[in-house]
This record gives sequence, C-alpha cells and structure tokens, in this order.
Amino acid sequence: MQRTQKNARIKLRSNDQRRDNEQLFRAMKNWWKFLGIGLLLLASIAALRIPLAPALVHVSPDRIAPGTTDITITGYNTAFTSGALVKLVNEEQQVCATSVSVLDASHLTARFEVPAGMKANLTDVSVDDLIYTGALFTEGLGAGITSAVCPETYPAPASFTFPNRSILYESIRNLHFHVPMWFTMIVLMGISVFQSIKVLGNNSLDNDLAAEMAARIGLVFCVLGLITGALWARATWGAFWTNDVKLNGAAVTGLIYVAYLVLRGSVQDAHKRARLAAIYNIFAFMLLVLFLFVVPRLNAIDSLHPGNGGNSGFNDLDMDNSLRSIFYPAVLGWILVGCWMYDLRVRAARLANNLDR
Amino acid sequence: MRTLLSFFLLLSTIVANAQNAAPSWLESTLYGSGKINVVVGVVAIIILGIGIWLWRMDRRISNLERKS
Repeated sequence: MQRTQKNARIKLRSNDQRRDNEQLFRAMKNWWKFLGIGLLLLASIAALRIPLAPALVHVSPDRIAPGTTDITITGYNTAFTSGALVKLVNEEQQVCATSVSVLDASHLTARFEVPAGMKANLTDVSVDDLIYTGALFTEGLGAGITSAVCPETYPAPASFTFPNRSILYESIRNLHFHVPMWFTMIVLMGISVFQSIKVLGNNSLDNDLAAEMAARIGLVFCVLGLITGALWARATWGAFWTNDVKLNGAAVTGLIYVAYLVLRGSVQDAHKRARLAAIYNIFAFMLLVLFLFVVPRLNAIDSLHPGNGGNSGFNDLDMDNSLRSIFYPAVLGWILVGCWMYDLRVRAARLANNLDR
Repeated sequence: MRTLLSFFLLLSTIVANAQNAAPSWLESTLYGSGKINVVVGVVAIIILGIGIWLWRMDRRISNLERKS
C-alpha cells in the first residue's frame, strides 16, 4: 500500500520533471528568437546612447589675413579648458595662439598674430588634439613662414565613441537602423529563392508557400529601408530621392518583387503557379544581386553611398571598430527578427490553407 | 498586395513633391542639434512599420480564429 503510494509519488514527480524538460526544450528550440530580440535591444540602446567623438565643427570668421585676428571656434562634445592649446597649421608650418579665452566647453576665442606669406590656400585649426582641416581661407600668400614651436599636445584618453564626421554628425547612428533593413531583406529574398529552387526539384506547394511569404516579409523590410533611407538622404544629400545608382537599384528591386506577387496572383492553377513563380523568383534574385551589389560597384558609376563606385565594401573612412562592434550585432538581430516574422507568416498561411481544405 | 502597391505609390509621391518644395519646419528639424532628429525619425518609421505589420498579422489571425 505504502509502496504504491510512494511509486505514484515518484511517477508524479517524474511527470512534472518531464513537463519542465519539455518546456525547457521548447524554450531552447526558440533560442534564436531570444537571441534576436536581445541583440536588437543591446545594439539599439548602444546605437542611441554612445556619444559622438569630440570635434571642431565651426570657425568664425572663415578667412585670415596678415595681422591680429580673433577666431571663434565651436566644438561638438568637446571639453575646452582654459589651458587649451590652439594653433593654425599651414602646410606643416604652425602659428601659436597668443591668447585663448574659453567661453564654455564648446566655444573659445583665440587671438593670433597672423604672419604674411603662408604657402597654402587653406589653413587648418587645431585645439589640443582636435584638428579642423581646411577651416580657414588664407590671404596674403607667399613662399612660406618660419614655423613656430607650439607646446606639445597629448592625445585625449581613448574612450568608446562613434566617429564625428562633418555632414553626418549624429545621423551616423542611422547606420545601425537603416542598413540592417537591407541586410534583412537580402537574407529573406535568399530564403525565398532557396525555397523556389526546392520547388523546381520536388513540386512541393509548401515550399512555394514559404517562398512567397519570405518575399513578402522581405518587401516589408525593403519599404522600411527605402523610407528610412529617404529621410536620411534629405538630411545629408539634400533631397529625399537622388539619382544615386543604389537608390534606383533598390527601388527597381522592390518593384521586381512586387511584380513577383502580381505574377502569382494572375495564375489560377496552384502547381503551375508554383513552377512559374519559382523560375521568376530565381531571375528576380539574380537581378537583386546585380542591382544591389554589381552595378553600384562599377568603376564608371559614382555613388553617394559609401563603399560604391569602384571600391568594394566600407573603407576606414566610413566604418571604424566602434561602429562595427554595434553594427554587426544590430544586423544579426534584425535578420533574426525578420526570420521570426517570416516563420509566423508561413505558419499562419499553413493554418489558413488547412482550414480552407 | 494592394497595401504594398499603395506604399510604393505613396513613396513616389513623396519623392515627386520633395524636389520642388522644402518645408522649412522639416528643414530646421532635420538640420538642428547635430541631426539627432534624423535618427529619431528613422527609428519611428521602423517601429511604425513593424507596428503596421503586426496589426495586419493580428487581423489575419483573427480571421483564422473566426473560421475554425
């Protein structure tokens, strides 16, 4: 009697344990969804919170002539202190400031005795370790001056910041939001063409369904990429839409995939539709690769987008390691979220098919 | 399908208008304070876009529930 009770209790406990294990297993199976949201959360917070590196953004007046000149320098995220070392640099020849008055952390006025006979048209301004290249037009040019020896400046302690580039400024953070949209679209279109190739082999309507849904979710990201890109373009290139090759290529790619969905809608027979759409999809993906990767990189075509017009990928001016360390997690996070959306869409479509039957 | 097409149409009208007139409030918003508002706009567009997708998905699943 007692033994059976004990056995029952053990059985109950093992049932509990099995249920716990199943729940754990189910959670494990969804690990990539947790990873996607986690990466997205961390990358987005970092993308919005990491400060821009200090930089000099404005000088007034913008030209110097021989004689005594006061120059007001505006910085961004700077911490000017009364001991700031300000100098003019013209082709390696330096002029030290005779006096510096700091107004606040980002404004200072420096007085120079500008000598006649500097060589280059443009003079750089430097405050401590920050340099504003080509800040001042130079008047009274000549054969060169004797360079003054200004006090040594030491580089500020390294901190984790995003690069501070003129024109872009804070909008450089969009790298972590706008660009992952395109990466996600390309991955989803890749899934779509993979499913389409499977359709050609096995005539499976389920693979056809998956191909369609991947293309649909890919289009959502394409639209988001186009709109966010348009806003960013307005602030950096001056217009919502420019005749940039990559812009037009992306728009045409979007239209090609809209045409894919139109084509699907126009064929009644399911098996015929599956094969036709699969063949079209393979061509569509080839065009995507052509428009987004090949054409923008042709030497003859210049592009406003970084990493195009002859050079492949980002270079050191467009990306640095601080951007990369946030950008790649953001890309992976968005790709995983895109795959999750695709997963939901396919499951809903399968359910709808089963209910119709 | 129709929504997607209208998205593209909407986009093309924005593009067509943008080249003639530049509203000054937008100008000042986009260029002020280190262009941080561009990032705010981009994040808002993405959240809105995902929100619209979720809304449509919600309706789709409601339909399935009604059928079953």
